[in-house]
Amino acid sequence: MSTLEVKNLHVSIDGKEILKGLDLKMQTGEIHAIMGPNGTGKSTLSEAIMGNPAYTITEGEILLDGENILDWAVDERARAGLFLAMQYPAEIPGVTNAEFIRSAINARLPKDEPISIRKYLKDLEETMDFLDMPFSMAERYLNEGFSGGEKKRNEILQLMMIKPKFAILDEIDSGLDIDALKVVSKGVNEMRSPDFGSLIITHYQRLLNYIVPDVVHVMMDGRIVTTGGPDLAKRLEAEGYAGLRDELGLDIKLAEDKA
Amino acid sequence: MSALTIQTQALVEFGKQNNEPSWFTKKRTQALKKAQELELPRFEKIKYKRWPIEVTKPVEVIQNKLPETKTAEITIKDNVVVEFGQTTAKLELDPKLKAQGVIVCDWQTALKEHPEFIEKYFMEAIKDDENRLNMQHAANVTSGVLIYVPKNVVVEEPLTSYFIQDATTKQDFVHHVLLIADVNSEISYLENLQTYGEQNTTASVIVEVFAKAGSHVKFASVDRLGKNTTAYLNRRGHLDQDAKIDWSMGMMNDGNIVGDFDSDLIGDGSHAETKVVAISTGKQVQGIDTRVTNYGRHSIGHILQHGVILSRSSLVFNGIGHIIHGAKGADAQQESRVLMLSTKARGDANPILLIDDNAVTAGHAASVGRIDQDQLYYLMSRGLSKEIAERLVIRGFLGPVLTAIPSRKVQTELSDMIERKLIDGQDEK
Repeated sequence: MSTLEVKNLHVSIDGKEILKGLDLKMQTGEIHAIMGPNGTGKSTLSEAIMGNPAYTITEGEILLDGENILDWAVDERARAGLFLAMQYPAEIPGVTNAEFIRSAINARLPKDEPISIRKYLKDLEETMDFLDMPFSMAERYLNEGFSGGEKKRNEILQLMMIKPKFAILDEIDSGLDIDALKVVSKGVNEMRSPDFGSLIITHYQRLLNYIVPDVVHVMMDGRIVTTGGPDLAKRLEAEGYAGLRDELGLDIKLAEDKA
Repeated sequence: MSALTIQTQALVEFGKQNNEPSWFTKKRTQALKKAQELELPRFEKIKYKRWPIEVTKPVEVIQNKLPETKTAEITIKDNVVVEFGQTTAKLELDPKLKAQGVIVCDWQTALKEHPEFIEKYFMEAIKDDENRLNMQHAANVTSGVLIYVPKNVVVEEPLTSYFIQDATTKQDFVHHVLLIADVNSEISYLENLQTYGEQNTTASVIVEVFAKAGSHVKFASVDRLGKNTTAYLNRRGHLDQDAKIDWSMGMMNDGNIVGDFDSDLIGDGSHAETKVVAISTGKQVQGIDTRVTNYGRHSIGHILQHGVILSRSSLVFNGIGHIIHGAKGADAQQESRVLMLSTKARGDANPILLIDDNAVTAGHAASVGRIDQDQLYYLMSRGLSKEIAERLVIRGFLGPVLTAIPSRKVQTELSDMIERKLIDGQDEK
């Protein structure tokens, strides 16, 4: 069993504090969802955990199996078992999907024992099939010219091939139609095991109908304001973030208030 | 004795020892004299005048043997010429091609057996009196090859050359290639320019390609001169009517170099495609001046050059598109891009368009930029080290040039060389 723990995390971008002391603890075998209104720091949290150098951590700790990983570069964190399915995956021309995923797998293996090409291609083909992706996408350049839905599926393909300990899914449902949403959820559910944990970041409850979380956190203004079970997500759907805020007696301005 | 006298005597002695025809030795000594009066060539933004780029040492016959380790690396058996300094280590030409009249021979053999080609073509595409470096080259040429493809002959199997500079001595490497593709002929040629040895040396390499009417030359090169070699590398095509040259050049040298790559589109409907990829590492400077000049009507000259710079190195790309008055319907396009991997590297991409006619098309694109941090972050977030991630992004950046190279084999060879040079370059950081 592995654990991922975020302690009193403060993160700033361009001098503006986005996360204001966030605490979170999860372990493999669990799926956690983080819900929250727009502009509340959900993506900042995922990027900070992964180690995006554009985000400055001013205070706090991120612990993987008890070890503080704040000084680790993004690739070290990835090899240690973290994965971030990104909201806007970068396009890399000239590098095929297939060779990229193979490089990613080999980066986790001893240098002189790379995965056999035969086994790799078999796994890749099966996984792509499972995700309803045509095998021709393996030979396309990484994310280049992919539609929004194709990019999200491709993130899940990488997740399933790399098999991390913890996967953070950052708004994986944004811009997805219902069919794509089902496929993406199918992929994540397939990964469910005692050796896998996931942190699902979403604005909407819809995704959680397909991937049922064990724990739901609600985030507002850079902090987690309340935690509960799957029913918390349903309640939010009914009452809205403003309703929950008022119920909790929080003095926070939500982006939605302006609308 | 003055330096000129010493050099002149050396040329005469060199001619004697090699049994050169006397007219050629005379040409040499005259060139030597004239060289002093000429200026060094000027290239925008390429500052090389303090480099030891001039050929100044008295010539000498040096016949070293190519070391076994180096010979073993060359696995090609057919249609191959290997020269080490002034020595010809290997020359294999398909007998069928020989029977068709194809000539591939080293410089000394060419002087004795095919002097008419040298008289007619040597320093004709590139004039010796254009500048001092060319004239010094004409005086001191000590090795090279002559390649001739007769009318209507198609050389199907590519011809590969290895020109390995002998830097176990301090002697200048002055090497000349004459490639003549006669009317309606075709040839695919791959040149490997390398260095063996560690001495500080000067190299002067001139390649003249004559593409006669309707001929098609695919010229590819992988240039990897050594760290201690300062080089002047000048390649030029002279294209007659409807002739085509595809240039694919990989500048993977480790030392300071000026590369001057030109196509004179003389004939109507002639066409040159120039692709250059360059990697600069360490503290080296590579200055690359690529020009197409449209004289012929409806002639086409395209330049596509992408380069990557690491550490404290420099890379300058000049792209010159010159359309001469009267070249109706001519087309000159160019794109030069430089990717910087280090804040201490220096890159330049200068588009220069000179248009002297109206009914033409011309365009340019140029950029110098840093590696995309989002791309790097994405690749690294999957566990790839920064070095591997950088190399993948670079591959994507060079991709448009590499995939435009006509030969798959050259693409692969260049990719491998790029990978090797990048790994070495990253280690230096």
